[in-house]
Amino acid sequence: MLRTQSTVLIAASTVIIAALAPLVMPINIATEILIFGIFAMSTNLLIGVSGLYSFGQAAFFGVGGYVAGYCFVHTNLPLSAGLVLAMLGSALVAGLVGAFSIRRTGIYFMMLTFAFNQMIYYLAYSWRAVTGGEDGMGGIRRPALDMPLVGNIDLGNHLNFYMLAAALFVASSILLFRLARSPLGLVLDAAKQNPRRTASLGFSVYRAQWIAFVVAGAIAGLAGALFALLYRIMPIDAISWTSSGNVVFMVVIGGMSSVLGPVLGAAIFIWLQGFFSLIWARWPLLFGVFIILVVLFLRGGVAELFDRARQAFTRKTPTPAVQGGSHE
Amino acid sequence: MSEVAMGDAAMTNLAMQQVATPSATHLLEAVGVTKKFGANVVIENLSIGFAPGMLHSILGPNGAGKTTLFNLLTRDLPVTAGEILLRGERITAMKPHQIARLGVGRSYQISSVYLDLSFLDNVWLAAYRARHGGRMGWWKRVGSYGEIRDQACEVLEKLGLIGFRDLPAKAVSYGDQRLLEIAVTLATNPDILLLDEPTAGLSQRETERVKRFIESIKQQYLIVMIEHKMNVVMEISDRVHVMNRGTLIASGTAAEISRDEAVHRAYFGL
Amino acid sequence: MTSLIAAQLINGVAIGMLYALTAFGLSIIKGLLNVPNFAHGAFFAVGAYVCYAADRAGMPFAVSLLLAFLVPAVLGVLVERLGVSRLMNSPYLYQLLFLFGTALVMEQLIIIIWGSVGLSMSPPAFLEGAFDLGFTYLPRYLVFNGCMAALTIMAVYLLIERTRIGSQIRAGIDKREMAQCLGIDVGRLITAGFGLGSGLAGLSGGLVLPLLGANATMGADMMAIAFVVLVIGGLGSIYGAIAAGILVGVIQSVSTVFVPAASTVLIYVAMIVTLTIRPQGLFGER
Repeated sequence: MLRTQSTVLIAASTVIIAALAPLVMPINIATEILIFGIFAMSTNLLIGVSGLYSFGQAAFFGVGGYVAGYCFVHTNLPLSAGLVLAMLGSALVAGLVGAFSIRRTGIYFMMLTFAFNQMIYYLAYSWRAVTGGEDGMGGIRRPALDMPLVGNIDLGNHLNFYMLAAALFVASSILLFRLARSPLGLVLDAAKQNPRRTASLGFSVYRAQWIAFVVAGAIAGLAGALFALLYRIMPIDAISWTSSGNVVFMVVIGGMSSVLGPVLGAAIFIWLQGFFSLIWARWPLLFGVFIILVVLFLRGGVAELFDRARQAFTRKTPTPAVQGGSHE
Repeated sequence: MSEVAMGDAAMTNLAMQQVATPSATHLLEAVGVTKKFGANVVIENLSIGFAPGMLHSILGPNGAGKTTLFNLLTRDLPVTAGEILLRGERITAMKPHQIARLGVGRSYQISSVYLDLSFLDNVWLAAYRARHGGRMGWWKRVGSYGEIRDQACEVLEKLGLIGFRDLPAKAVSYGDQRLLEIAVTLATNPDILLLDEPTAGLSQRETERVKRFIESIKQQYLIVMIEHKMNVVMEISDRVHVMNRGTLIASGTAAEISRDEAVHRAYFGL
Repeated sequence: MTSLIAAQLINGVAIGMLYALTAFGLSIIKGLLNVPNFAHGAFFAVGAYVCYAADRAGMPFAVSLLLAFLVPAVLGVLVERLGVSRLMNSPYLYQLLFLFGTALVMEQLIIIIWGSVGLSMSPPAFLEGAFDLGFTYLPRYLVFNGCMAALTIMAVYLLIERTRIGSQIRAGIDKREMAQCLGIDVGRLITAGFGLGSGLAGLSGGLVLPLLGANATMGADMMAIAFVVLVIGGLGSIYGAIAAGILVGVIQSVSTVFVPAASTVLIYVAMIVTLTIRPQGLFGER
């Protein structure tokens, strides 16, 4: 019974978060938090669930954003087609990067994801004709959403766009939650603890991790597409190494042990970004200093604080994936 | 085919087939296997075969290469030279997870249970793979696979571990973790069990328990066991193989081995 | 055509030596700390900018280069002492985030102090000009560059292989706990190693300044190239980094003759090819 409720619980939590957010902050900020929440949750599939410390996820976020942006600048494709293409594009790139990076582990893997991120950044920078290079891709339109029963929804309306983002946020959360609790998720957890033993049990660790990498890339691409739609411009910064580091920060500070933790991290990041940029235009410097201080002095502190708060809220004390007993 | 036309490869194959004549009766075997780490030769031209329906023990002083041999059999390490045969087929180039799926189960010398997972989850993983092969479901929750949970509980019960079902593996004694390791290996439903020092670190009572358990399942599997405890080896082994410095120095029944001169020399330097 | 290729070959070796020097420093740090130093590129950039500032202030070139080594080295020591070593017992991710934050801070400071427009510096007068080899010209500065990098690598090699401190560094890299049991102060070794590695990166930056100039993104660019060099050379091999660095430099430069737009991408292609046919790198062990 508990298990069934958990999916419902996640769905309910995300819906509540999505419903409350616009009431306590400007709607576009709320939208941005949901978008980065999606990005951070997808990254946590790699960092938290699989133990794959990828420092290059911005590459897939960026590919999704650029693909969607391109569709909505140069073609007349409807919204859903653009989003799907964005996800396919980032999944494809993730599949290729993963194929080369996952065969190596640990430090190798981290370095490779960083290097591939730089390569893709460089490609985006140089391919001015398509991506706009250093200036980014501007003039991205927000096509109307054509829904079967409801009709045409104008997404130029901020609230409408927010609801689209919220719906995708809820859907991604549920998908990632199910994945983490599924046999694949258990294999990933096992491979994180002891890859050799997991292989000796008969699981292809490479395949499991590659699948996780592709899924994370695709969802990051979705977040990127929404980002491009939100600001109607795709800046080159979004695909840079700093962006990759930012999302890792979100995951770490928000908490890796639950699906929704990274969403908290995204909120903290967005808030900090806003706060620091009020003080100084060179806000990344302040952010860098903040990261250093947090990591040095509050290590365990912040995460622990949030851990306890989280446990109280979602009853996410580590429970066995499989419950004994006959009342399942 | 004239001899002139036979290439090197063909000659090698022929030679290997001659060495591997008993492959009809050996379920698992290593043929002319060598393993080097850089310049360090750990196993040298070793040929050893394991006939089914028996419990084989591998004895030898430390550094004899026993665990390395296991690592070669399961392909955790690649061979430098030689072949590994399973049911007569060459598996030397396969990956460890593929070999596991062919029915080779392995337990490790250093405890490799998943410390952060519960007893049930540990065994569940193995049981799931045994039933579903390479497939990894991504939507259905682990808890909803009722049959697999039942199978996993069965294995836990067989080893007397059912009481720890929902406890994380790190919460129990080392001895119970070793038992869990055996349970996990059994749950993969193998034909062959490679047990690397299953009683290492266990008390006398726990050792007795494990020994009796292994004896009770002897008929159902081909068991190859690396062991240091003489009483365990002598009491339940059908065949004993002794290794020293990377080579096989003796092979036979427990009684034959205890009389073997080469074995005495290896152990006592006489 | 041949003279063009020859010229680019020379260029490639020159820049390759700098890649080698930087990757060499990164390799030492990676060996001691078992962490990918995400701040390494930033030290490279700091070296370049410090050299520029010193030159602007009228100091002789030799002093500027010395500062390009020393300032990042000292910064490296500070970063290691104040941050990395404190995080030894924290989750691995914290160390990574710390290095990321450090890189961010250093990059931003560079932009604040010197702006984001690219800077350049001409080599000192006695290094200007070129030797006429008949089929091509050999710029004096490139010769100096190559020799400087080679001499530095040799000096560090001798330090590591032939001195007692060096053997301790090697012990610290190979078997840290054992080294501690032997009474070697591994903590100080690591600090020294981090400082040395950062200094090497900074020196590379100083040397590259008259070649390619300095700009705000040079840190991240070099970071990626250093990673690529390590992957191609083989992670376990400190000296593989040197050979791979030169190879990468040559590939990048020579390819500008044939496919100018794709020369940097070719580096990554080389990495992909290496990963495919020899995953452990050219000099790595399986």
